[in-house]
Amino acid sequence: MDNVPLTLKKVLCIEDEHFISELYVRALTKAGYDVDVELDGVKGLEAAQSDKYDIILLDLMIPSLTGTEVLRALRDSGKTPKLHARIVITTNLEQREEVRQDIERQADGYIVKAEVTPRELVEFLSKLN
Amino acid sequence: MGYFQSFIRQFRARLFLVIFINNALILTDWYVVDRVVKLTGWWALIAITVVPLITLGVIPWLSVKSLTQPTKFIWQAIMHLAPGTASDMGAPKPEQLHLGREFVTNLINQLYQLASVVQGVEQSNAKRTEALNPEYAANSLPVPLLVLNKEEKIMLANDAAGKYLSKPVTELMGQNVFTALDLSFTSTDTLDEWLKATKGKAVTADHSWERVRIGLPGQGKGNLQFDLAAHYNQDNPIGYETILVLFDHSGTYGRTDDDLSFIALSVHELRTPLTLLRGYIEVFDEEIGPNLDPELQKFMKQMDASAESLTAFVDNILNVAKIEDNQLTLQLHQENWADIVNTVVGDMQLRASIRGITIKAEVAQDLPPAGTDRYSAYEVLANLLDNAIKYSKDGNTVTIQVSLNKDGLIETSVRDQGAGIDSAILPHLFEKFYRSHQTRAQVGGTGLGLYLAKEIVDAHGGNIWVQSKLGEGSTFSFTVLPYDKLEEARKASGGQDITRSTHGWIKNHSMYRD
Repeated sequence: MDNVPLTLKKVLCIEDEHFISELYVRALTKAGYDVDVELDGVKGLEAAQSDKYDIILLDLMIPSLTGTEVLRALRDSGKTPKLHARIVITTNLEQREEVRQDIERQADGYIVKAEVTPRELVEFLSKLN
Repeated sequence: MGYFQSFIRQFRARLFLVIFINNALILTDWYVVDRVVKLTGWWALIAITVVPLITLGVIPWLSVKSLTQPTKFIWQAIMHLAPGTASDMGAPKPEQLHLGREFVTNLINQLYQLASVVQGVEQSNAKRTEALNPEYAANSLPVPLLVLNKEEKIMLANDAAGKYLSKPVTELMGQNVFTALDLSFTSTDTLDEWLKATKGKAVTADHSWERVRIGLPGQGKGNLQFDLAAHYNQDNPIGYETILVLFDHSGTYGRTDDDLSFIALSVHELRTPLTLLRGYIEVFDEEIGPNLDPELQKFMKQMDASAESLTAFVDNILNVAKIEDNQLTLQLHQENWADIVNTVVGDMQLRASIRGITIKAEVAQDLPPAGTDRYSAYEVLANLLDNAIKYSKDGNTVTIQVSLNKDGLIETSVRDQGAGIDSAILPHLFEKFYRSHQTRAQVGGTGLGLYLAKEIVDAHGGNIWVQSKLGEGSTFSFTVLPYDKLEEARKASGGQDITRSTHGWIKNHSMYRD
């Protein structure tokens, strides 16, 4: 897997659960991705808006700004004029169907963390191209 | 009464006076004739007879007038008061009266007072009638109230109902309640079913429901949640057969927030350690797994499978909670059924393999696309396969077969070679929390899986059933509709919710063609 050529290489992982981000960084790095981690919404949004990343993994339950707020800001052309990254929601939160659909519409992927192992996450991201 | 007695006293006194005067006149007459006029014989007799007769005639005539006058006044008063009598006499004027004026005035006053009391009673009766007018009473109620007739048409909706539904009550009235309102119940015990069961079988009946969502058709599920109380009266004389009263409990039940409250929070808290557990197991499996001896490798797989089962179970809890909360929404897409089946089979391999169980998939070629909610269908298949694995003996084979049945429905069956199920238990199998008592000791689980599977299949418009014999294993089968059939059914029902009549409580599926 190490030698798979990746078109989307730079990953931003916005995740406050340290052990989870650690696992993701480990698996993604092994697969050839370059991963940065941000622990809260404000810093995460700031990093995302720099438009350095190809993929953004966004947890919904994060401090300072919620994932939903970050997502909205990233999809708002007034606040984020330019963003080429694919946004994948990674959450363990469950919400009402309408809310989930609304989030899914704005994002490029939606993953329930407990349902995928890090390896499965890597597989999922490789299909994003 | 004092006035009457004084009237009688006065009358007697005057009568006495009249008699006294008359006697005096006769005596005076006789004296005058005898001594002054010196009349004798016939002339004297005529004079003595005629004079008193004249005076006796004049005086009583005067007396009688004064005696009847009060009666006339009273008569006038009655005629004045009597309803429907055109009287031009007007009110009596007792001041013109000399004899018994006080008494007559009082009597007339009493008459007028009595008349006004009667009038007051009539007026208050009229007021009470207005208060008892059902509409008036209904509109005074702060809780929404609907009254239905025999045909389940809304005869009356009070102001509160209009306010809660944000629709003018006039637009609700006359409509069938089931077309006018979108009612979602938390179970198959619905108003519709209750009315069907009650009509013609009971004269009066009462029933209540909790957590009923009520909205207007085409506006999605209402955010308002009510407790609903119904009273049925078959022989109501004005045709009000069913009365529905709604109690708004949205504050208690409803969550307009993005969460499902306690369950959602618990699920989140369970999922976080599970994510880590599964992540670390994977790391260990990859890094040191190949170097472990077979027994430890087996333990590793066991650990992995357990974490996976736990994750699936957490999803089950969540889905049951969604059903209970009326939140399970299906989106029926056009899907490749074989793909879904193969995904589930793939995901279940680990759990099967650690017990040496083989999953054999026999999927017919050329299946039409299914009209299904992918995630929910996954749950159904995963639960049936998980059960089949749980109740199998080590080394058994679990077979999953998919074909188009003779009714043109996509039929999927999961067959195991396990202990089988006692026929006494079969009818209860799809009930919530129900599990075979015989196997409880050996196999864990909550009995949520089959309940969930049934709810989901029902909501798809399909059927689920089981065939089993003790010692010969069990076969669980269910159907889903090909997408085209689903669309036909939807069109046939005028674009309305296609499963409404049979399963009115999971609703608002959306149809999507990808």
